[in-house]
Amino acid sequence: MGLIVRTPWSRIGEIIASETALTALRLSLVVATAAAAISLVLGFPIAWALARAEFRGKTFVRTLVVLPLVMPPVVAGVGLLAAFGRRGVVGSWLYEAFGVQVTFTTGAAVLAATFVSLPLAVLVLEVGLRGLDDRLEDAASTLGASRAYTLRRVVLPLMGSQIAAALVLAWARALGEFGATITFAGNLQGRTQTLPLAVFERLQTDPEAAFAVSMLLIGLAFVVILGLRGRFLR
Amino acid sequence: MRSFAAVLALTSLVATACPDDGPDAGSGDTASAREGVDLTVSAASSLTEAFTEIGDAFESANPGVSVTFNFGPSDGLATQINEGAPVDVFASASPTWVDAVQDDGPGVTGRADFARNELAILVPSDNPAGIEGIDDLSEDDLRLVLAAEGVPAGDYAREILANAGIAGAALANVVSNEEDVKAVITKVLSGDADAGIGYVTDVTPGVGDQITLIPIPDDVNVIATYPIAVVSGSEEADLALRFVDYVLGGGQRTLAEYGFLPA
Repeated sequence: MGLIVRTPWSRIGEIIASETALTALRLSLVVATAAAAISLVLGFPIAWALARAEFRGKTFVRTLVVLPLVMPPVVAGVGLLAAFGRRGVVGSWLYEAFGVQVTFTTGAAVLAATFVSLPLAVLVLEVGLRGLDDRLEDAASTLGASRAYTLRRVVLPLMGSQIAAALVLAWARALGEFGATITFAGNLQGRTQTLPLAVFERLQTDPEAAFAVSMLLIGLAFVVILGLRGRFLR
Repeated sequence: MRSFAAVLALTSLVATACPDDGPDAGSGDTASAREGVDLTVSAASSLTEAFTEIGDAFESANPGVSVTFNFGPSDGLATQINEGAPVDVFASASPTWVDAVQDDGPGVTGRADFARNELAILVPSDNPAGIEGIDDLSEDDLRLVLAAEGVPAGDYAREILANAGIAGAALANVVSNEEDVKAVITKVLSGDADAGIGYVTDVTPGVGDQITLIPIPDDVNVIATYPIAVVSGSEEADLALRFVDYVLGGGQRTLAEYGFLPA
């Protein structure tokens, strides 16, 4: 409500159409979509293991997976720096062996967004997997279906709405990611400045422009969720 | 269960709506120390260490007074004040942002310059890019981190690069525009930035062994002027002015210890 009242509606066209806002919008779309897709692809096997397998250290793995959800995003960013920064545990090896530095790249923004949205995807998928009636899979294997076939033709279709829900939640979380991004990926227009970062930067000198770009971000999320028409909840 | 939740909700609502404990602040009380008085000071991030020490000293000299600092980029701080943040004193790393409070905001009183600061190139102690001087900032594939435009350190850095005639090449090397100068230091400390431009005072005792300072030649360097002022409309105007006077007086030694130049 406050945003709607204070947005400079007379300037909004010019602000939103500005290069800064459009670049941030395009980058946000790319980063959020990539992060959601990766979260789904990585999250499914993790959710499967947590839902169906029994192994030592399972509780530990579950805790690790959920941790980014409860961590303050800036702390997540610091953790990513410690792991993937140039002097980081993994980052230093990447730098020395391949000359690759992750920080300050769009990839880093995707990594930060994935880190915080993966737990959401895993949680939703795990609940979905646990809710499946395994008699259907048993029936498929008695009829001679291989495990791969069962997965593809029985499990995945049954999980359609959960997979969609996981994607939407992961995408929404990735879209709004700020703390980990600014700490680990940095802030550069066109490369790492997603919409939340653009709003923050504008806020320092021109709050009205920040309100306008915030409306853009909210509008985008609104359109996507509305467009799905609650399909992912069925 | 539902009525319990309702009671909980109502209690929290009432608790947050109640004003803080403590005697009334009142106004215009100059002479003796009063109990439980809060002074809010917004200061540029580069002043973090020096002003924390100055705040402690001011509190010791004025029992009952509690100084609360709000450190951040001067542009953000000015915007907060102009948007109505209840700040008593504003110490900025650049006159521009005190002007902004004066022209577009509540206005200021008792304005005075209290310090100056030099800028320098800051590199990680192992200097991975082998920076030796300002011209090296224009070399290819350098990861340069600056404060964002609008942040004094960011504007000063861009001015320096222009003075040195390498603005085009150096700005193409910028990989991140940080929200304040301390964030620039963080990127240098973590080793992810090959170089950053910040203040000489940013090489604080805590980070001295992890950051190397490379001086910028005087003919291209910029000396930052730091003004301090009481924000008009402050409820603690007299106390705020006493704090400003302290910074201009006893606080000068602390500032010098941290590497600031006198105004």
